[in-house]
Amino acid sequence: MRLDDTPARGRAAMRPSGTASRDTLGSALLLMAPALALYAVFTLLPVALTFWLSFSQSAGFNTGAQFTGLDNYRKAAADPIVWQSLRHTFLWLAYHVVLAGGLGLALALAIARLGRSGVFFRTAFFLPHLVSLAVVGVIWANIYDPFFGLLNTALTGLGLGAYTQGWLSEPVLVLFSVNVASSWQGFGLYMLLFIAGLQNIDPALYDAAEVDGANGFQKLIHVTLPGLSEVMTFVVSLAMINGLKGFATVFVMTNGGPFYQSELITTYIYRLAFQAQNHGQAAVLCILLSLLAIAITIVFNRWRARLAR
Amino acid sequence: MNRRNREWPIALALAPVLVLVLAPFAWLMVSSLKTEAEIGQGAPFQWPADLMWRNYADAWRIGGFGELIGNSLMNLAGVVALTLATCAPAGYALAKMRFPGREWLFYIFIFGLTIPIQAIIIPLYQVLFGLRLIDTLTGIVLAQVSNGIPFGIFLMRSFFISVPDELVEAGKIDGASHVQILTRIFLPISLPAVQALIVISALSTWNDFFLPLVVLISPDIQTLPLGLVRFAGTYASEYRLVFSGTVISFLPIILLYILTQRRFTEGLTQGAIKG
Repeated sequence: MRLDDTPARGRAAMRPSGTASRDTLGSALLLMAPALALYAVFTLLPVALTFWLSFSQSAGFNTGAQFTGLDNYRKAAADPIVWQSLRHTFLWLAYHVVLAGGLGLALALAIARLGRSGVFFRTAFFLPHLVSLAVVGVIWANIYDPFFGLLNTALTGLGLGAYTQGWLSEPVLVLFSVNVASSWQGFGLYMLLFIAGLQNIDPALYDAAEVDGANGFQKLIHVTLPGLSEVMTFVVSLAMINGLKGFATVFVMTNGGPFYQSELITTYIYRLAFQAQNHGQAAVLCILLSLLAIAITIVFNRWRARLAR
Repeated sequence: MNRRNREWPIALALAPVLVLVLAPFAWLMVSSLKTEAEIGQGAPFQWPADLMWRNYADAWRIGGFGELIGNSLMNLAGVVALTLATCAPAGYALAKMRFPGREWLFYIFIFGLTIPIQAIIIPLYQVLFGLRLIDTLTGIVLAQVSNGIPFGIFLMRSFFISVPDELVEAGKIDGASHVQILTRIFLPISLPAVQALIVISALSTWNDFFLPLVVLISPDIQTLPLGLVRFAGTYASEYRLVFSGTVISFLPIILLYILTQRRFTEGLTQGAIKG
């Protein structure tokens, strides 16, 4: 790339070349100004205001708020639905890591052994990930429809009518059913990441294992899985964070019901903030949600750093 | 190692899994061409007697899908353009310029990566309301761009860092400003990063539901996922409309993906690994 044909303009051109390696705060801030301005107004300010809200009492949007100390925290701790939604969120994370992460890993291990047909399978298995989680919610609400849905009608058609369920109305089943929909959408990305991780494993390690007389299973345990450990921690943390943010499928398919049996922290925040206008208590849950996300990020970053050493 | 001989059994084992995973799409597409009475028979493996293309015409008209897709496209264009325009210069400054407080600024941006959007939604709504941006395309674009800035900056910075410093120095000796160095040297050689940022911000905007749900209130300004959910709720008892409307909602992105498969996958994987 030649630049000599472009006429020298701007302040940098006037600066003697000797100081060129050190930049002023001003010119750097100028380049960052658009990002910084947007980020400050629409992210940092709301983070700070969330803290203030959690210590104050307001009657709804655009009404004055009064400082009430830890009152909201006390009320949140006394609310059984808060604990229920927290428990559901942890279960939701676990389901998502196992279902979506597990399927992603299994498919990646199989697809990585394929030659040309691997591209076909990779592309085809990735398709669900392109669909918006809200649309996924509509799709799976229909799949689970007790009378006309794919699942129950297919079970009946295959002579397995005894296994038909009210997949979204059964309290013990509902959270898992909705999670299947989210995980169906989520596994494709994890699969791609695992495939990329598998491609980075040094083929010489497999040759060495073969020389040592290792069978396929031993190669998987001693070469493949250790070679994937870094990608694995990344995928698990990504899946946990994605699980933590889970909202759309629950909102669309069950709206937290029946009887709060699929209520997550996120859906409860929405309910408290935009339906009950209880901002103080919603803000407490917002802070809880952020702390969980930060904790997951820190733990996994540490773990990954230790693996990299 | 003989790959060819081992390929067939694996492909054969994967085929039924693939059928299961893609069954929801196939079922919806077939059912969307049935009459209401055929859907009512609850026979998922039965082919419709007549292909009811009318379902699509009806859903398109009643659901206003043309308008929804138009809104989604404008939303997407705004977010992608503004994300590039904000994240590329900021990522460049954080990667290649030396100034006091650089580390601090970087950590402040990265902090945003860990905060779920739901955790700041109440004051975000208040800020947008105060700026009269609720129920506007500008409001949703600004909120989504801000939400994507930490990732975008992180991605651009990690690509720019690997560009040799000599290129910056050479540009400066030639009298180029930082903006010129960024647009004429760094962006052209960082096309994979730009591609990754475009794919990721486009896909997440196209599929976003939570922010549109909160910010976009009037039906005539809503985006595709939100519009579909509203449509499916209103016409819940007319399965043929819900089914064809759902297919309308997922088909465009899937076709686009199949056409641009390689770039799409590269962009996503690159972005996720760097980010």
